[in-house]
Amino acid sequence: MIEIRPSRLASLLGVHRNTVRNWIRSGKLAAKPGVGKRYVISRSELAEFLRARQVSAGVIQELTDRQPGVSAGAGKTRYQKPDIDREVPMSDKPVGSVMVVGGGIAGIQSALDLAESGYFVYLLEKSPGIGGNMARLDKTFPTNDCAM
Amino acid sequence: MNIELLTLSEIVDVAGQAGNFTVTVKKNPRYIDMDKCIACGICAQRCPKKVDDEFNMGIAKRKAAYIPYGQTVPLKYVIDPVNCLYFTKGKCRACEKFCPTGAVNFEDKEEILDFSVGSLILSPGFKPYDPSGLDFYGYGKIPDVVTSMEYERMLSAGGPFQGHLEKRSDGRAPKSIAWIQCVGSRNTNQCENGYCSSVCCMYAMKQALITETHIAGGGEQTIFMMDLRAHGKEFERYHQYALEHNVRFVRARPHTIDPGPGNSGVSMRYVTEDGRTMKEDFDMAVLSVGMEASDDARRLAEKTGISLNHYQFAQTSSFKPAASTREGIFIGGAFGGPLNIPTAVAQASSAAAEAARGLASSKNSLTREKKYPAETNIAGKEPRIGVFVCSCGVNISSTVDVEAVVEYTKSLPNVVFVENNMFSCSTDTQQMMAKAVAENELNRIVVAACSPRTHEPLFQDTLKEAGLNGYLLEMANIRNHNAWVHQKEPEKATQKAMDQVRMAVAKARMVQPLDKLQVDVIQKALVVGGGPAGLSAALGLADQGYETVLVEKTGQLGGNALNIRKTAKGEDVGPALREMIRNVEANQRIRVLKNARLTSVNGIVGSFSSDVEAEGKTEHIEYGAAILATGGRETVPEQYLYGTDSRVMTHLEFDRELADHAGRVKQANTAVFIQCVGSRNEKRNYCSRICCTHTAKSAIELKEQNPDMNVYVLYRDIRTYGAKEDFYTKARKLGVKFIRYDPKDNDPEVYQEDAGLKVRVTDPILGLPVVIDTDYLVLAAAIEANEVSDLLSLFRCDTNQDGFLNEAHPKLRPVDLAVDGLFMAGMAAYPKMIEGSVSQARAAVSRAGVILSRNRMYLDAVKSYVTEQCDGCAVCLDVCPYDAISLTEETIDGRSVKKVSTEAALCKGCGLCEATCPKQGIQVHSFTNNQLRAQVRAALDLPN
Repeated sequence: MIEIRPSRLASLLGVHRNTVRNWIRSGKLAAKPGVGKRYVISRSELAEFLRARQVSAGVIQELTDRQPGVSAGAGKTRYQKPDIDREVPMSDKPVGSVMVVGGGIAGIQSALDLAESGYFVYLLEKSPGIGGNMARLDKTFPTNDCAM
Repeated sequence: MNIELLTLSEIVDVAGQAGNFTVTVKKNPRYIDMDKCIACGICAQRCPKKVDDEFNMGIAKRKAAYIPYGQTVPLKYVIDPVNCLYFTKGKCRACEKFCPTGAVNFEDKEEILDFSVGSLILSPGFKPYDPSGLDFYGYGKIPDVVTSMEYERMLSAGGPFQGHLEKRSDGRAPKSIAWIQCVGSRNTNQCENGYCSSVCCMYAMKQALITETHIAGGGEQTIFMMDLRAHGKEFERYHQYALEHNVRFVRARPHTIDPGPGNSGVSMRYVTEDGRTMKEDFDMAVLSVGMEASDDARRLAEKTGISLNHYQFAQTSSFKPAASTREGIFIGGAFGGPLNIPTAVAQASSAAAEAARGLASSKNSLTREKKYPAETNIAGKEPRIGVFVCSCGVNISSTVDVEAVVEYTKSLPNVVFVENNMFSCSTDTQQMMAKAVAENELNRIVVAACSPRTHEPLFQDTLKEAGLNGYLLEMANIRNHNAWVHQKEPEKATQKAMDQVRMAVAKARMVQPLDKLQVDVIQKALVVGGGPAGLSAALGLADQGYETVLVEKTGQLGGNALNIRKTAKGEDVGPALREMIRNVEANQRIRVLKNARLTSVNGIVGSFSSDVEAEGKTEHIEYGAAILATGGRETVPEQYLYGTDSRVMTHLEFDRELADHAGRVKQANTAVFIQCVGSRNEKRNYCSRICCTHTAKSAIELKEQNPDMNVYVLYRDIRTYGAKEDFYTKARKLGVKFIRYDPKDNDPEVYQEDAGLKVRVTDPILGLPVVIDTDYLVLAAAIEANEVSDLLSLFRCDTNQDGFLNEAHPKLRPVDLAVDGLFMAGMAAYPKMIEGSVSQARAAVSRAGVILSRNRMYLDAVKSYVTEQCDGCAVCLDVCPYDAISLTEETIDGRSVKKVSTEAALCKGCGLCEATCPKQGIQVHSFTNNQLRAQVRAALDLPN
């Protein structure tokens, strides 16, 4: 499975991006909506679709054979947005883990609930420590318990 | 164990779809090796660079090498590259030079990491509103104008002033403090925040009451507000408590704050309700700032492709309160709008339930369970005690002479190994401890360090890894109980530390291995109540793979929602409700029992059983957890001619009138709404919460159908909290007239005259009585919980004074009942809208899932047990707060013998029974009379 952006695919094929969206909507292009304004499609189906539209083999090759766009390198690497495609792991079974973004009281609660009910959790926090705004509070209403 | 914490990290990209996302994360460098850092704080001590401390809202300073606050998790220092002298000027590296473990690493680089996850929960939180733009309040210019968040830090014992309140202008203690409500909320002139932040009224009252205890003589606290929004559970009583403590409430929005004389204090100008212009001086002004969506949250929404609403909060719907606009991505906490702590916690649990929903088939596929070596049998063996005395960096060793304590400890009986550690809790010391256990055949461990409350689980774990039972541990708190409080008397402190260690050793000699109580979990659930809360709970549980029995007392599912047309957000209730009912009835895992009631409840968390009487038949069910969603109801008003004049109706009746006789309603000239009918009085001392929004929406509907209709709302405080404020604003724009009344001063009078229905009330702004000739009088009748005391006594749980279920902890466990394994949802907990009921039900599912997901669960081993000495006097029955003790009778040798027996699963090991028993007939493991006596004798230095 790879991920495509309609705008990028459109510019490669020389059509308007809405045309690509219409193909997807009408089922001509068997892509499923992903995150953001992107879609997920299997490599073989994309290649077949492109062949049917008489796209040159070289372009198809370039599109469908490309490796995932991200690399975790040493040194100061800047993250490059993958311009068109990127490997998306696909299987029938969903992944048994959840990412919780934000380590305030809500994020902590979600993470604990999930971890205790059989799911692996990645808890992401942008600051050096979790606790969020609640850690700043002196006491909490109505019992005047310490917020810590 | 099954949570990987990624700090200093942010999302750069999300790919894939629900069930299979690939998330790219940028992990910023910490410049300190987390494995090596022991949080001794030397780097921060040596760091020469001081910067504003964001944790203390900029009131205090921190160093460029720092931890955000003392209890930070993870407790590891960090170097802030924006301020660090090495990164800005190219030299310094003092922290690196002085770090005792070599943890500083200036070569640390940012990393880009990919993670494969099934769902995402976004809970980026909120940002306190920045009032710098409101020049008329002088924030940032007048030193004694502070925000509520800054004030919170000023009050805190861990804050910049160590809890000693002082004015920022001259350092003197303030006497009179004013709070200004709705700063950055309910304001569309100076900012775009038309919503109510829903928490500020309560926190301002809390701050005022805490302030009273910080000022000698109590001081004077004044709160300036428009409406007082005490709309939650027990909030109304807190308001009364504040009034009793002479907190002054002024209904006004001050328009200008000027500096006080000599730039100390403030001078405030405001206009009272009756039109008088006032000028009043205070020592300090606190701006009760609202909640805003943070910029990070907006970026996060962009990256993940979810939609935001017009206030930049995440968009959600009433029937799926945790779902974002993108499948597989869920909203937790205040990302969806301002929430107080308990609601945010419940919302987070509901997001967890939703996130787990699509992943049920992969449950337990990635989680791990910790394995321990087999336990050494120590029965009959002489105690061989190992003592570890912790320096806690300099926390203990700067006051207590730890070397002297170590030497002294060597002389104590049965002690065969003593050692001093820099940090007993650090990973390497843990490994060393395990080695010491093996090499010296230790069979009891004493750790003289900090509080068992925070560190006992860690050391118990170390013991288990070393093959010892976790309960063979004893702790002596020589930090919190000693070094921290006796800093000025090091010699006495050292003596005390020796006493503490001697006591711990005396007890350690007598401790025995204990086994955790094991319960085989029945992975099935019970839901009581078939309203929206019960229905969503049952569906949620079934989606997680748990068989569920839904018990409904009537013959129909749907509850109160059957009588409601639209949700607060404007969605149609009927179709959504019918779909829910269909899904429940069609679900293979859910069995619905109608016209049913529970007749018995037995067992404990993980393993309950009940008899249910349904349609004449009784059946036996078993379950591991139960969700009580027994609901509430609209009460029947007793005043304002209700029941004598057909034009007087309740909200639900008026909704039916709107549905059935739309034409007749449209023809009406006038409609009057009276709020708080039967709520906020002595009988029901709480706010029914949903009526203000319901009234505002009905009033809008009337005005939209017939703009010429006169619509009046007689209210006490308008409590359209959160984004519901939009309805209030819209109703006012459409010309609905709002008249405030107070039942003590100007309670509305309703009477019939010449076949007409009249309402008379004194308008507090005009100061004159107004008589309204009306066609409809709609009463916002109070909402109360359904009467289910029989059921609650079966489950041994209780309600508050108002009949709503009591939570285990009002802030942190908002859907758990005090009895383990029971959870609550919906109006049985407090009046709420459908959205709140669904969200709470999902939260209850998440909490129940924590129990139901395991085959077996372990309960703490510190429990009461009955000894031979018990003669069945039953004194302990009365003192047990958990109903864990019962009286039993058996026949031995033809004599009937009475004894008590304890239910281990209900017992929390509090020890009240042991203290009460006159003959040592009941004891608590690990705290037996003999063990405690040994400790006391050791304290007094008596021989045992």
